[in-house]
Amino acid sequence: MSARDTILGMLRAALGPHRPDRAAIAAEAAALLADPALIRPALAAEDPVEAFAARVVSPKVNATLDRIGALAGLPAAVGRYLAAQGLAPEITVQPDPVLRALDWTGFAVRETALPDEAVALGRARWGIAETGSLVFESGPETAVLNHFLPLHHLVAVAAGDILPYLEDHAAVMGAAPRNLNLITGASGTTDIEGSYVRGAHGPRFLHILLIGP
Amino acid sequence: MKVDLSFKGVTGRAIADRRLKTAIDRTTMTAETKRRLALMDYPQFEAARARGTAIKDHVVANLDHYLEEFERNAVASGAVVHWAATAEEACGIVVGLCRQAGARHVTRAKSMLGEEIGLPHALEAADIERVETDLAEHIIQLAKEAPSHIVWPALHKTREEVAELFRVAHGRPQDSEDVPAMVESARRQLRSLFLGADVGISGANFLLADTGGVCTVTNEGNAELTTTPPRMHIVTAGIEKLVPSLPHAYALLRLLVRSATGADITQYTTFHTGPKRAGDRDGPEEFHIVLVDNGRSRMLATGLRDMLRCIRCGACMNHCVVYRQIGGHAYGATYPGPMGAVLTPALEGVEKTRDLPHACTLNGRCQEVCPVGIPLPTLLRGWRDTSWKEGLVPGSVRAGLWAWRFVAERPRLYRLATAAAVRAMRLFGRRGWIAGMPGAGGWTDYRDLPAPAGRTFMEQLRDRKTGR
Amino acid sequence: MAGDPTASPRVALFVTCLADTIRPRLGFAALDLLEAAGCRVEVPEAQTCCGQPSFNSGDRAGAAALARRMIAAFEGYDYVVAPSGSCAAMVCAHYPEALEGDAEWAPRAAELAGRTHELLSFLADVRGWRPSGVALPATATYHDSCSGLRELGVQAQPRALLGAVEGLEMRPLAGNDVCCGFGGTFCVKYPSISNAIVGEKAAAIEATGAGLLLGGDLGCLMNMAGAMHRRGTTVRAFHAAEILAGMGDGPAIGEEDGA
Repeated sequence: MSARDTILGMLRAALGPHRPDRAAIAAEAAALLADPALIRPALAAEDPVEAFAARVVSPKVNATLDRIGALAGLPAAVGRYLAAQGLAPEITVQPDPVLRALDWTGFAVRETALPDEAVALGRARWGIAETGSLVFESGPETAVLNHFLPLHHLVAVAAGDILPYLEDHAAVMGAAPRNLNLITGASGTTDIEGSYVRGAHGPRFLHILLIGP
Repeated sequence: MKVDLSFKGVTGRAIADRRLKTAIDRTTMTAETKRRLALMDYPQFEAARARGTAIKDHVVANLDHYLEEFERNAVASGAVVHWAATAEEACGIVVGLCRQAGARHVTRAKSMLGEEIGLPHALEAADIERVETDLAEHIIQLAKEAPSHIVWPALHKTREEVAELFRVAHGRPQDSEDVPAMVESARRQLRSLFLGADVGISGANFLLADTGGVCTVTNEGNAELTTTPPRMHIVTAGIEKLVPSLPHAYALLRLLVRSATGADITQYTTFHTGPKRAGDRDGPEEFHIVLVDNGRSRMLATGLRDMLRCIRCGACMNHCVVYRQIGGHAYGATYPGPMGAVLTPALEGVEKTRDLPHACTLNGRCQEVCPVGIPLPTLLRGWRDTSWKEGLVPGSVRAGLWAWRFVAERPRLYRLATAAAVRAMRLFGRRGWIAGMPGAGGWTDYRDLPAPAGRTFMEQLRDRKTGR
Repeated sequence: MAGDPTASPRVALFVTCLADTIRPRLGFAALDLLEAAGCRVEVPEAQTCCGQPSFNSGDRAGAAALARRMIAAFEGYDYVVAPSGSCAAMVCAHYPEALEGDAEWAPRAAELAGRTHELLSFLADVRGWRPSGVALPATATYHDSCSGLRELGVQAQPRALLGAVEGLEMRPLAGNDVCCGFGGTFCVKYPSISNAIVGEKAAAIEATGAGLLLGGDLGCLMNMAGAMHRRGTTVRAFHAAEILAGMGDGPAIGEEDGA
């Protein structure tokens, strides 16, 4: 007998003969998602965009935030960040058509992050106000390692893509990407005597560029 | 000198180790405080706990259904699904896959299931170089030790010890007063190893039935650095990790992270669905998922069904008075604390682990903080029942309880016996306290015992009634 | 009658084996308090031990045998009241468990559980009683014993009652809801672990600077008082019922020198 048969056989023996059918199981699973408001924390502000903006700079997320009116202002905002950090204008830009279409004159732009990348810019598909998370879907326009290799992770996200709650993301997401990455702050660890240190393996700095009014 | 490896011996040494106590207190007290603060911001916690409990109960009640659904969808996404009834089978599958991939070295993101099935040892035995990437696992790999906590495996290590381990292994001087510099040293050491690995091995926090997706959560980002660059990603996951869909996982994540670290969400929460796709910039070409039973289906059949809800947050051990005195290693198994004292007898047999469910005051704090309402004291008592039935309780305890019951079932004898006992005890009293008395060493070796009044309440009451 | 504080219910005092043997004063304090709260109190002679040591040691048959005895002993009273959260919780929470599946005794266990109470919560919640004219010029701190706290919800009641004692200043205890390491037979089966736990508790109690340690369970109080006495601490321990009954000027735990 295969391990599969053994395991399923043991489970069925333990669960007994009277089992709900597929439809009943699905109905029960759906009922377990009813009234999500009962189990959701309050947002930091009534407006999801304001809540997101407040959340990401709070100690819970500890990112930095730059709000820019329009996408066209992104290169200048990136330039400001690099200058403020004393970094050279050399960055990896996610191969995302929206980002690539911008005018990157004055920057040395790479497509793929180096093993010890200093700065990478990405564009999040969504932002989640509840947690301050940035949501990425891997694919031809989004390399997963771009979120993890750089020391400074710069992320553009449109105000129109800010969702209130985690469940709202589940509702708008289409087919599952290979990697769905929710990123909430910079990499951190408390593994040595519980003291919090940033930049354990991934980025040490997360800088969010929130685009839109 | 022979080292006493009994539970008493091990716990005695742990208690005498003040450095260990300091290390335990630092992390568990921080975790307790942060959890309390997180719950103050989340008044919905009770409702969420009820919901989380119901979700896990629903999954366990339909586990065969969800495993098959998961398998179907995972296969459709391009993953290969393997089933392992035992730890040996699971390790055999992983080692076989590593060999098939021609792996010389593999990276591993922390997985308690991996520890449970002995995967580190199996890889070593197969001569496959293993690099632990979670910072704490890296530390204990260098120290050649086992995890002492399921969330902070190196909780027992002081920064001075870590500095010394890093100095030797990283070949660089370390300053124990500069923890960020030590973390940076590990970052430099591990970065090239991440990128050069042939196989990346992770665990799973949740398995999503409706997509075949695997969820990992970390704060360091090491899971993604482990699973993305290599040609092959292998997931080992307990069969109880199933959830129906993404929003169910989100509901449980809110509970898991707050209960574990007091944060609202982990820095990196990733759902892995299948291998690299056409046009993908990175990702593994092969994606294998090993579904591991290792006693879980037996737990379902033997009264431990509630334990299958466990989401491995560690809150029970952070709040356990016993764990906080003896630390994780004293439990002698992968899972310490209250959840470990329930799981370990199920995994290794109660005859070898009898002390674990007995070394508990049944104070109920673990159940109080459990985000999925596991009645840990009841389950621990269940192991005590089993120990009693299987004759594992020491003869002295058995005889004592039998004698107590014999007397307590006979009220008149009980009155005589208690009246005699308090008189006898008074002979050992000095100024109201007994500092030592034959048969009472368990108490008086450590504490003084208040001497009884000399006449029982029942005797004095009788006097009062008869007007004496 | 149940629930009507103006009536005079017939109450059985479940004295508990520790109060019976080690601290009879506590039994009399309970008796006085119940009478002050308008109850007709009886002490059934047939009561012995609630069976907790057997139940928590895995001896289900022993626990069930003792449970049956106690159920019979307490038949017919309006209420059964114990000056202990853990003994009351044994009856309320665990008798039904211990006798599960016993067609004759399970319903009787459930019925007894429904009318059994821990003393302090009974006085406050069921009888709506408050001490009057009780004074004790002292500083005290309170430890919440785990069974009463988590299985019966005893937390606010003792504080409300003690708050009505004139001159008694209550000081908060850090970790007031953390186990003291007693755990019944645990403390003698794993004494070194128990001692380490109670050592921390003793330090927390000493840190309050209070002169008195109060609580609602004699086992825990004996553990803490015994540990503090061994350490040379001068904090004195009483069951809260003794204070409420005006016996706070008497000998504390470990100060009794004869009946």
